Amino acid sequence: MRRLSGPGLSFRRALLAALILVTAEAGAARLTVFAASSLTDALGEIGRVFDSRTGHQTRFSFAGSSSLRTQLERGARADVFASASLGQYAPLRSQGLAGPHTLFARNRLTVLTPAARPLIGGLAGLARPGLRLIVAGPGVPAGEATARTLSLMDASGNYGPEFTRRVRANVVSEEPNVRQVALKVGLGQADAAFVYRSDLTPGLRGKVRTYSLPDSVNPPVAYPIGVLKGSREAEAAAAFIRFVRSPEGQRILIRWGFLPAP
Amino acid sequence: MSRAPAPHPVPVLLSALMVGLLLLPVFALLLEALTPALGRTLQSAAVRDALRVSALTTGAALAVTLALGTPVAYLLARRQFVGKGLFDALLDLPMVLPPVVAGVALLLAFGQGGLLGRPLEVAGVDLAFTPGAVVLAQVFTSAPFYVRAARAGFLAFDPDVEGAARVDGAGRWALFRRVTLPLAFPFLLEGAVLAWARSLGEFGATLLFAGSLQGETRTVPLAIYSAAESDLAPALALSALMVALAFGVLLTLRLIAGRRITPAQ
Repeated sequence: MRRLSGPGLSFRRALLAALILVTAEAGAARLTVFAASSLTDALGEIGRVFDSRTGHQTRFSFAGSSSLRTQLERGARADVFASASLGQYAPLRSQGLAGPHTLFARNRLTVLTPAARPLIGGLAGLARPGLRLIVAGPGVPAGEATARTLSLMDASGNYGPEFTRRVRANVVSEEPNVRQVALKVGLGQADAAFVYRSDLTPGLRGKVRTYSLPDSVNPPVAYPIGVLKGSREAEAAAAFIRFVRSPEGQRILIRWGFLPAP
Repeated sequence: MSRAPAPHPVPVLLSALMVGLLLLPVFALLLEALTPALGRTLQSAAVRDALRVSALTTGAALAVTLALGTPVAYLLARRQFVGKGLFDALLDLPMVLPPVVAGVALLLAFGQGGLLGRPLEVAGVDLAFTPGAVVLAQVFTSAPFYVRAARAGFLAFDPDVEGAARVDGAGRWALFRRVTLPLAFPFLLEGAVLAWARSLGEFGATLLFAGSLQGETRTVPLAIYSAAESDLAPALALSALMVALAFGVLLTLRLIAGRRITPAQ
């Protein structure tokens, strides 16, 4: 895969950014984007490209979607909300805090273990007693997706009896966001974890082993994005969302392990 | 005595601003938390588990702090050795370190892949995601508060008192228990209260180092954080409880300070 941050290119990009800064029109806006923590790398990069194109300044607050939703319900100011599940977006819409959403990416789960400690017996080994499994908490989209996948695995009958119950018994921590989960496997602190495919960042890749889940037990989750009602920069916010859904935005998302918008 | 002139309005106004800034958030919290449903919320399983985990871990952390911190404070107060100044300063480091940094540092030292990960594993000590990890995070962040106060306590009286008792034939342990400890006691108590309060509020290091599981490692602050993601009611109830405890801590410290000033004759 071609890396986009070669020295020549980043110099050109910096020059371009500088040019735009110098010639920026008065229309430059400061955008605040609240985004699910699984989007940290992809949206961060999209934001940088978007800023260099438009002269806007985009800032991000990454956290678990449910934390962000709570903050927004309690009056936090932001222009855009990119959630990892519709379940955390729809309530904002019904409370009149957010505009209509559009889906901009999809994601699937994967199982991680530290590179040096593979699962014994493949995915069925998740139920082996004594394994230290960490997952995202029940209120977090990744946690909801994990629960769904576990019950589908259980129903498939391919992973042994009472799979969900035995796997649940191995959970040693329910983390507030999915990036915390990935971090702890990368540090070797846990034996296994459910994370999104997009959480497999370059920094993590050498330290972990991944186990693909069959698509039949791993339905994709869709990410909604929308302009928040309190936004003072609604036009720039809409432009940001258009850029995320543009072929270029989608390419960046795919490079970070997401599936394209449905 | 002549009456002091009326204060200038500017400092009064600025003071009012400061007081408002400090007290308004607590007031707002209590305003929302103190509802008739508070009692019922405090009896929910999530809240009860969090209280139990916090009580047990902060209790254990305090015991470790007292057992290991008292000798450190005593040696620092009584002995001279090379590098004492530096050592003294370094012991305070966890106090000013951001808790999240403490969490990362603990992971890198005692975590599975950390510096002592392998030796600990060989020794059969498995801290990852256990209440033990919570205690370790609490000791790391709170013990310096105790050591600092205890050291001041051992320095607060004339060591000649100890010398006199020794001349009178008191053994080392009797000397410490009968003379040193009672004289330093108000300071030790103050340090213990401060350290306990700090470990009760410990959040960042615990979340990173010990994870968060209800009934195992999810202390009150972690429970507040995870509840705030879905249902604010338990978060508010626990927050109100923390305010009450914090108030109790302040009151205790006041009482101790009062006792310290009165000479114990």
